[in-house]
Amino acid sequence: MSSALSTIHALGLLTCFALLGTSRVGACIRWLSLQGILFSLVPLFFHDDGLGLRVILLAGGNIALKGVLFPIVLLHLRSRANYHREVEPFVGFVASILFGIVALAVSLGLALKLQPALAHAPFIMLEAAIFLVAIGLFLIVSRRNALMQVLGYLVIENGIFVFAVITVAETPLLVELGILLDAFVAVFVMGIAVFHITREFGSADVDQLTTLRG
Amino acid sequence: MQTGHPIVAMLALAVLGAVVCLALRRPRHILAATVIVSALELAFAVYLWVAVLEEGHVTAAEEWFYVDPFSAFHLVVLSLVFLLCSVFAGIYFADETGEHEFGPAVARRFGALWLGSLAAMTLVLLSNNIGIMWVGMEATTLLSAFLISLYPSRSSLEAMWKYLLICSVGIAFAFIGTVFAAASMQSGSGAQAEALFWTRLADPNAHLNPTLIKFAFLFILVGYGTKAGLAPIHSWLPDAHSQAPAPVSAMFSGFLLNTALYCIMRFVPPVRNALGSGFADGLLVFFGALSILVAAGFIVFQRDAKRFLAYSSVEHIGIIALGFGLGPLGSFAALFHMLNHSLSKSLAFFAVGRLGQRFGTHDMATLSGALRGDRLWGLALLGSILSLIGAAPFAIFMSEYQLLRAAVGTEAWVVLVLFLAAASVVFISALRHLIDMAFGDAKSPLVALRQRLPGFVIVMPALAALLLLGLWLPPWLTEAIGRAAAVVGMRT
Repeated sequence: MSSALSTIHALGLLTCFALLGTSRVGACIRWLSLQGILFSLVPLFFHDDGLGLRVILLAGGNIALKGVLFPIVLLHLRSRANYHREVEPFVGFVASILFGIVALAVSLGLALKLQPALAHAPFIMLEAAIFLVAIGLFLIVSRRNALMQVLGYLVIENGIFVFAVITVAETPLLVELGILLDAFVAVFVMGIAVFHITREFGSADVDQLTTLRG
Repeated sequence: MQTGHPIVAMLALAVLGAVVCLALRRPRHILAATVIVSALELAFAVYLWVAVLEEGHVTAAEEWFYVDPFSAFHLVVLSLVFLLCSVFAGIYFADETGEHEFGPAVARRFGALWLGSLAAMTLVLLSNNIGIMWVGMEATTLLSAFLISLYPSRSSLEAMWKYLLICSVGIAFAFIGTVFAAASMQSGSGAQAEALFWTRLADPNAHLNPTLIKFAFLFILVGYGTKAGLAPIHSWLPDAHSQAPAPVSAMFSGFLLNTALYCIMRFVPPVRNALGSGFADGLLVFFGALSILVAAGFIVFQRDAKRFLAYSSVEHIGIIALGFGLGPLGSFAALFHMLNHSLSKSLAFFAVGRLGQRFGTHDMATLSGALRGDRLWGLALLGSILSLIGAAPFAIFMSEYQLLRAAVGTEAWVVLVLFLAAASVVFISALRHLIDMAFGDAKSPLVALRQRLPGFVIVMPALAALLLLGLWLPPWLTEAIGRAAAVVGMRT
């Protein structure tokens, strides 16, 4: 079990750094899809009381959404917005990778602090969850295009998913479904918003969204 | 225990109403449908409120829905504000022309999203499960985002995108807090964790893990605080309020913010049980005071009437949060203030929206002579803004006075001084604009409006209620608010 989690952890971190260092949007969406699939597998390896139907449903639903459906929607939006490359992010790609390294160190520190209170949560996954949330937030504030901000939001979602799976052993199914549904709707609503912004502004670059101040 | 049919009926009615709005063809019918649904919701809410005050609480679906005096009070204020806003929407949209024409497509979108938001907020207030509460809160963000950009334009899309993104991230943080709270229950010994009910979380015998519940509350406060508009995470609020159509701004300020604050307050009793009262109360007082100060600073420089009202909402949400942090007396004042603020602020947005239609501007410098130009809505503007800045004898003066007494009672001197200073700044800078807006000479030719529904049906009752509540608080209302305050105001 722990070796599988270690593999997920290592590959997952890799996808984060790839997201930080890639300028091609299509590639970013595919990295995100891989990340979604990887972390959807966590409940399969974490629930040591065997593979119940619920766990399989949860993982399967998550893979279908984050690994397949969201990337399709996002790729479609990318071509609609005619947006293939993040040219000049607010923070450059090298600086972004450096941020990633610092964030990793901070996540380790925070996870060490939290570990005593969450004794049954695997340490590497705890650290990965914090790291994902940090990277997602960073992508939202450092990228110029609204579509990349949606990607950032989904990275945060991945982090929260991992965190919820490892800390709360038993959440009611209804709640889990509600949360998946919300993520699902959120992506569509954000997609429609990006579409409208593109149509009105000619591109989805958020540095044009500066009329309202003060 | 009595059955919770009204609970289910409230939810079903709002959802059904949203679907019906999608099927209706004429804008007038859609607006009528929203009014009818809101009126029925208010009737159900009052019924529930009475039942809760008699029996202590009402539940449904094996306690997945749970209404106590605190949530019942919020429900009544919610449905009241929604009814007022729906009636005003009928008046307001009838006079929108040009590219803001309220055609069938816009009307259907408005009706469905409007009642959908109502359903989501009702779900938040009725739900006992903190996960479902979160789902409802996220749903309000997603549903109400397109109400801001009901008429897509560059600035309304910008406001909508900021709202959508900032609040989604905020709500994601609230979810991390919810997970921490659930984990704190499981690592404690006594509590059954299979259902994440706040009734179990608030049980004094729950033995929550102190570290985890501390983290939980921090994330909850920042997460839902974003949506509630607490400074310094309020940045979406002025944009969204200034760009949304007036009825939508009124609903945002009048209740959406309260819903988020309600979610925060649900976590306060468990935190007090686990960590003593200092931690949660200190944070509430800090964020409350900060919001009041930040808002007062921004209000001085505002030129746009709707942005002014938006910052005033940040101030008042701060006052309410501050009150909740000041013990039982403060909680009473906070809840009373919430009712007064919801009434005054919706009325103020109505007036500004309506006068904006007549004067063709929301700029406070050109929007002048309202009383001469439009007697009724000018009066509404004068009354509601006087109430908002805390002039006697309006109701907000009374609730702020009670809050001051609570601050004196708990010897929170720094807070007292800061609050008085900020309130004076707001009072003076608002009065400067108000005198000209109400009594000045009209500077531009006025647009004639069709008055399909007479506006006084909402202006007069609202103004009368604000005056009456300022002069005399009926004993039954005192008792009802007191019972609600006792739910969140107990100190351990």
